[in-house]
Amino acid sequence: MDKLVTLWEGSGLYNLELGQAAMILVGLLLLYLAIYKKFEPLLLVPIGFGGILANIPEAGLAISALDQAIEVAKPAVLQQIAAALGATLDPLANAEAWRESLKVIAHDGVAPDQVRAARDIAIGVGYSNGMLYNFYKVAIGSGIAPLIIFMGVGAMTDFGPLLANPRTLFLGAAAQFGIFATLFGAVALTSMGIMDFSLNQAAAIGIIGGADGPTSIYVSSVLAPELLGAIAVAAYAYMALVPLIQPPIMRLLTTDKERQIKMTQLRPVSKLEKVVFPLMLLILVALFLPDAAPLLGMFCFGNLMRECGVVERLSDTSQNALINIVTIILGLSVGSKLMAESFLAFETLGILGLGIVAFGIGTAAGVLMAKLMNLVSKMPINPLIGAAGVSAVPMAARVANKVGLESNPHNFLLMHAMGPNVAGVIGSAVAAGVMIKYLG
Amino acid sequence: MQDLELLQDGLALMALGMGVVFVFLTILVISVTLMSKLIGRYQPAPVAVETGKKASSSSVSSAHDDEVMAVISAAVHRYRSARRR
Repeated sequence: MDKLVTLWEGSGLYNLELGQAAMILVGLLLLYLAIYKKFEPLLLVPIGFGGILANIPEAGLAISALDQAIEVAKPAVLQQIAAALGATLDPLANAEAWRESLKVIAHDGVAPDQVRAARDIAIGVGYSNGMLYNFYKVAIGSGIAPLIIFMGVGAMTDFGPLLANPRTLFLGAAAQFGIFATLFGAVALTSMGIMDFSLNQAAAIGIIGGADGPTSIYVSSVLAPELLGAIAVAAYAYMALVPLIQPPIMRLLTTDKERQIKMTQLRPVSKLEKVVFPLMLLILVALFLPDAAPLLGMFCFGNLMRECGVVERLSDTSQNALINIVTIILGLSVGSKLMAESFLAFETLGILGLGIVAFGIGTAAGVLMAKLMNLVSKMPINPLIGAAGVSAVPMAARVANKVGLESNPHNFLLMHAMGPNVAGVIGSAVAAGVMIKYLG
Repeated sequence: MQDLELLQDGLALMALGMGVVFVFLTILVISVTLMSKLIGRYQPAPVAVETGKKASSSSVSSAHDDEVMAVISAAVHRYRSARRR
């Protein structure tokens, strides 16, 4: 009978907390959206699944060896850990109270060498880092995974349309207004006392408006790792929703006549220009904005591999095999941040709300900038392509094309919209560099 | 009071960020335009390069061309006779 009780007390059902149950449901919801609604399935399937894994009670897949030990170790071990952390445990309280107080102490203002000593004790008595915790440390904690994805995106990007019409870069710049307006929005919500975000957190939330998954993950891993789960989920979910979010804003801000504007055929771009462009961008980054160098450096590297034409195999690997491998690990690592205690907060709702506002403002700013450029330039510019300035390659360009076709079935804007679209990628990486420089 | 400071910081970051993004991309626009002009001037347009290559190679290998013509006509002949059958 005793053994039965032990078995029951070790079961998931007995230990399941309400928050964990809720997060498992969130994970299932993400899987549903990915599988049946085709929302960015390549990322939401690993993220959703990782989220479920991270919330399995007692398994501790997403926590470090020390946290694991604090959660389940025997009282004797807890005392050892407390001694290493330089804390005293109330001898009258029970083990559960000790666990609570140790959890707070271990994450708050203890010297790094004390934490290391406590971790060594935990590892010494046989606890180890959870699988997802290790994935997170390697892939996101080191910053590697988003950067490798960025290299792959660079290897997939054709800068031809941008080089043929360089002024579309301005549209990519204007759409970044969404990032900074959202940052300001988050700060304003804080100062009104509705939410509680630091400036770093506000910046990480704003970057959702860059509509660029790897950039969002990179920035939030640097500036606000505690919000990474919610930010990544918001970024990818809204990227999938671009075809629903953008068109109403685009129609609202343009007249039917403007939507019918035909753009002049793009000139052919020589191979030499395409090879020189990534190198030139790299040199400009080196000269003016070294803080964007990790993101844009990898981006340029990937693009050079694509365009130079002599490393076909490397380019192929970074576009396909490598990016797929990294996507799996990145997704699971993001999922590990979907733990109940950090995700189930009022702030998460704020992040989701601000994220969609960021997308909307970015779209509107791009469209308005295109209208402005139309007034001053001789070459006609269809304002719809401004909406493609929020990156979300190539979804946003397709949306611009589709809305254009509704007004004039013979007006194909896809290639014209690719220019601002890839400009948006550069723009959001530049914005990320500025924020990391200013706050990091 | 601290809230006001946070608000000011946010506003400063917004202005700085937008400014840097625009300045950087403006520099990029200027350099791309310059680069395209330079490349256009010192290297003839890609179409012209290709025709040049063709012109130079065709004069060398006119004998080769004759051989190709012979092969093609033989193949056509074969095909036609095969179909007639």
